[in-house]
Amino acid sequence: MKKKVKDKIVFWSFLAPALLCFGIVVIIPFFMGVYYSMTDWTAIAGIKPNWVGLDNYVSMLGNRAFNYSFIRTFVFSLFSVLSINIIALSLAILVTREIKFKNFFRAGFFVPNLIGGLVLGYIWQFIFKSVVPSIGGVLGIKALEDIMILAEPNLALFGLIVAFSWQYAGYIMMIYVAALLNVPQELIEASEIDGANFWERFKNITIPMIAQAITITSFLTLVTSFKQYDIIVALTNGGPVDIFKGEIVNSTELLAVHIYNVAFKYNNMAEGQARAIVFFIVLTVVSMIQVNMNKKKEVEM
Amino acid sequence: MKKVISLALAVSLLITTVVLTGCGGAGKGGKSVVIYQNKVEIGEQLAAFAKAYEEETGVQVTVKTSGGDSPYAENLKAEFQSDRQPDIFVIEGMGGYNTWKSKLAPYGDDEWINLTSLGFKADGKVYGFPVAVEAWGMAYNKKMLEKAGIDPSTLTSQAAYKAAFEKIDSMKDDLGIDSVVAMAAGPDMRWVTGLHNFNGYLSAGLPYGDTTVLDKLNNGEADMDRLTQYADWVELLFKYADKKVLLTGNYDSQVGQFATQKAVFVHQGNWIDPWLMEHGVDFEMGFAPHASVHGEHNAIFIGAPSYYVINNESKNQEEARAFLNYMATNPKGHEYMVKEAKMIPAFTNVKLIPEAPLSADVSSWVAKENAAYTWLQNDMPDGFGMGTIAPLYESYAKGDIDKAEFIKQLATKIDDIK
Repeated sequence: MKKKVKDKIVFWSFLAPALLCFGIVVIIPFFMGVYYSMTDWTAIAGIKPNWVGLDNYVSMLGNRAFNYSFIRTFVFSLFSVLSINIIALSLAILVTREIKFKNFFRAGFFVPNLIGGLVLGYIWQFIFKSVVPSIGGVLGIKALEDIMILAEPNLALFGLIVAFSWQYAGYIMMIYVAALLNVPQELIEASEIDGANFWERFKNITIPMIAQAITITSFLTLVTSFKQYDIIVALTNGGPVDIFKGEIVNSTELLAVHIYNVAFKYNNMAEGQARAIVFFIVLTVVSMIQVNMNKKKEVEM
Repeated sequence: MKKVISLALAVSLLITTVVLTGCGGAGKGGKSVVIYQNKVEIGEQLAAFAKAYEEETGVQVTVKTSGGDSPYAENLKAEFQSDRQPDIFVIEGMGGYNTWKSKLAPYGDDEWINLTSLGFKADGKVYGFPVAVEAWGMAYNKKMLEKAGIDPSTLTSQAAYKAAFEKIDSMKDDLGIDSVVAMAAGPDMRWVTGLHNFNGYLSAGLPYGDTTVLDKLNNGEADMDRLTQYADWVELLFKYADKKVLLTGNYDSQVGQFATQKAVFVHQGNWIDPWLMEHGVDFEMGFAPHASVHGEHNAIFIGAPSYYVINNESKNQEEARAFLNYMATNPKGHEYMVKEAKMIPAFTNVKLIPEAPLSADVSSWVAKENAAYTWLQNDMPDGFGMGTIAPLYESYAKGDIDKAEFIKQLATKIDDIK
């Protein structure tokens, strides 16, 4: 009995610091956020927020800029997840084969991930604005010379996906590399003896064996692309404009940027908070569905 | 255990000492003024000037600076809470005034008030001493205008601009330019369109300090006639701008187009001086008025981005006011403002001329009578300029919407303010 009590004390006293921190910086602010999202809070000291119920949530539904931002975020996330995973897996397969300087390549592909999003955004801005047209000039391709990638809504979104893939693919590649190295050699050899070609081997052995890694990488890429902020701010700053149902909207103002702008640029803290909560719920649901779907495909050895 | 206790004791002792010494300074009486300001780049120059002032008058002036990376507004709140209240501090217009209203003392019959029209006024009293002047108009390249046979002093109306733009546009190859105007309306440059250009709608052609159009806007009322005239001006600027700079350009590409003499005009203010000097640009330039609405214009947009204000709880208000008055009226103060701090003073009695080309031109506009239009762009609702209306300019520049739709959308957005 005495030992049990002592164990409990030890358990809780070791847990307490972490629990306290978690409570103070995550749990409490979260519930405060839920409360503030139902008020007309503006964050100016001395003004008491008034309770407005679900007004902020209702106004959000009819807000074209928000709806548009939602759609664009889904499009961006979908294409980012696909492109990052395809690129990362291809790179991983390349650098796990018997090639020269494979460690050098692994490090090289990983390096973009070490560059901060803001810096990277400016680098790609330079590429899209100056490098691409001058390449067009050298090659004599008029269309490439006159192209304004960051002035056309869909091209700008494409540009964002390119920049984000470039940054994130190397990181995801590392996870795939670890998974590929763990695929049992005897299975591969057995399939070779049975006469399977590369594609059959890849589809029937490699993919099922790295399914666990795919769950993780899809989750990581999905969540990070949903929350993307810094590259957007540096690369496109929300622009260029597009017209959505007669309203002029910012074509690359994805949800995280949109919420920040509503909260801080327009000083509508409560409205921004309400949108952030919807964002949180949607992201949680989407990522849980994704993890569940992928889990079913995993195989136990 | 003992160790822990002694450590705790030592730490608490240390904290008390620090706190006590911190409080010690504030209790002293006597002639001393503390000025807490936010321009890091002039901190040293101001301190040197304060030192010279002390030698002459015996009043000690302490300069404290924060800004740049550290947020001035938040630090200022901390200063007030920690009981180290400065005697003079800085606000940046109406927003700052609303925050600090209860702490401000108005100036009385100080001499400088009659030397400037740019003091910060609220409720009929003067509360702010203009730190410096900034201005924007249509900055032009003097040599190129001469070459094109255009006298900048004739650029006072939309018709004159139209004729001049057409003429320059037809001489593009002779002048070696890409476009007549360096104008930017892209996502990075929303302050140029949504704030500066739109300010033309708010104040061009009106007497200095007239806020009727702004007041109407803040009540959700658009002046359709003015808006239509203003759209003509926007159309003119966009038509003669380089498409690439207009749609995707950033600050460097816009100013760069002007600096490399690939454009005759640039829609920017005298704050581009350091950029130009850093890049070794030395051609002659000046400002012409914006013809934002119909009619004749003989003024550029002149304003003070920040003001020195007096703390009403300070025991040294008289000394603080005397110090600022000295800065505005004494030649040594002028020397400090123009030569040392490289600012444009807001006072008509200053005879010194700044070295930087556009700033020099601004000071000639400041000296003229009735040659200023008000800065009202910061008194619109939060986010309205850069967030709400700036995308309309971009859409119009791209050709997604036409002029009629541009006017209609602007009016709708103003109407939404209600």
